[in-house]
Amino acid sequence: MNLFLREMKSNRKSLILWCIGILFMVAAGMGKYAGFSGSGQSVNEIISTIPGSLKAVLSFGSFDLTTAVGFYGMLFSYLAIMTAIHATIIGATIISKEERDKTSEFLMAKPVSRYSVVSAKLSAAFLNVLTVNLVTFAVSYLMVGYYSKNEAFAGDILNLMLVMMAVQLIFMLAGSTAAAAGKRPRIAASVASGIMLAAYVLDKVIDLNKDLDFLKYLTPFKYFNAAKLLGDTGFEPVFVILSVIIVLILLYITFVSYRKRDLSI
Amino acid sequence: MNIIEIKYLTKYYGKSRGIIDVSFNVEEGEIFGFIGPNGAGKSTTIRALLSLIYPTSGSAAIFGKDCIKYGPEIKKEIGYLPSEVFYYDRMKVIDLLNYSASFYKKDCSKRIRELAEIMDLDVKKRIDDLSFGNKKKVGIVQGLLHEPKLIILDEPTSGLDPLMQQKFFDLLLEENKKGATILLSSHILSEVQRLCSRVAIIKEGRIIKLEKISTLKEDNYKKFKLEMKAPLDNDFFNIKGVVEFKSEGDFASFLYKGNINAVLKRITELEIANIWIEELDLEEIFLHYYEKEG
Repeated sequence: MNLFLREMKSNRKSLILWCIGILFMVAAGMGKYAGFSGSGQSVNEIISTIPGSLKAVLSFGSFDLTTAVGFYGMLFSYLAIMTAIHATIIGATIISKEERDKTSEFLMAKPVSRYSVVSAKLSAAFLNVLTVNLVTFAVSYLMVGYYSKNEAFAGDILNLMLVMMAVQLIFMLAGSTAAAAGKRPRIAASVASGIMLAAYVLDKVIDLNKDLDFLKYLTPFKYFNAAKLLGDTGFEPVFVILSVIIVLILLYITFVSYRKRDLSI
Repeated sequence: MNIIEIKYLTKYYGKSRGIIDVSFNVEEGEIFGFIGPNGAGKSTTIRALLSLIYPTSGSAAIFGKDCIKYGPEIKKEIGYLPSEVFYYDRMKVIDLLNYSASFYKKDCSKRIRELAEIMDLDVKKRIDDLSFGNKKKVGIVQGLLHEPKLIILDEPTSGLDPLMQQKFFDLLLEENKKGATILLSSHILSEVQRLCSRVAIIKEGRIIKLEKISTLKEDNYKKFKLEMKAPLDNDFFNIKGVVEFKSEGDFASFLYKGNINAVLKRITELEIANIWIEELDLEEIFLHYYEKEG
């Protein structure tokens, strides 16, 4: 418990900053919607003339931008990458920082097992990630609600937050895996961020080139398509199961490799 | 009873050598010295004892229990001072000490106050504002605050001024009297000589000597350096126990082992301007003495 509290405390400032960042992102993004909605249906027409490739890169997708929640769906793609960056970094650094700051000789000489250290640290990282998610939910709910004109949106946002949680969890554990299993824990955060950015780029590349659709299993950003979620398709079971499997595998690798390897001192 | 039992402990980092077939025991109530030059494998051995790293082969037990299997349990009764102390920068000293104490299921606040007072440590300061020596003091208090039965110290005195070193040694002797067993690693022979009853000498990953300190002291070379008014005849110090004689102008130097009076009598026959008599440091002992045996 002491280790968990210590981690919560040491991540407090960064957590607050990330939440403020999310707040501005959602507020500024939805502020733009005010301008869009004023122009009515014509926006969709203008957007439809934009080439598909540009639309893909800008994450416009096939959202109905005249509704607040549709516009939010577009914004969500940016929120997902932001929160994924946060999750990756915290997942990697929370494990690797003891070695980076050379405090592992202090911590591991205490009567603690490697297993309990990883548990406490991952719990703290998870609580941070969850907080970011809940803050995003609260801010999104308020902002979309403010601009909505009698359309239902709460269910849609809740679904999107579940998606975000899945993406966050996967990347948090990708970070912790890189830190626990990698040969050089000090660069774990960079390695994991690289993987995450590659997954994001792959997501966009698949959008641009439909022939590459089979690669969608490789990037968690593709597991849950916001546009489909806001439509009627909902969650696709194969990707829900795939996410659960990935999370379990990454958890296993994190715990086992951290227990078995030499600390880099 | 043996507090520490190390059997054929071997550790390779990839292909590079850490330690090879290290075996020795530390008995209960003993202050055991572990000496060797930098990079000989002292820290590797200690880190394996604390299961910070895992041995390639061989085993080690503390309090009769395997170091890896019972690691967390064993560590309840171990206090460890690493050779380089690094702590969470943004913490105050007292926060770090309380955090350290929170891992042990007992109230250590009184002992923290006592130790901080003995070591003259200001607990209200932030750790990143401390000098190297003061950080070392934090390490010492941190290692002793839970009154461990086994104290493991890896090069503990570097950075401490002589006065603090003395206080620290007194503290260790006091803990030892209360029943604590101490494993002290060092590359400075004199501090090991002052405290320890037995030593293991490690060189290039292998234990080359396991000896009582009293024995080691007897057959130790001393380093003599003389400055004379007139150049010296090369055969002047051709007596038993003198090796490595060198003469350069008014200066002469040699190593001597044996009855100190014999050589002093010889020196008084000379008109000398200055004299230096030094203990060999460990590196020199390795060079001049152990190389032949090892």
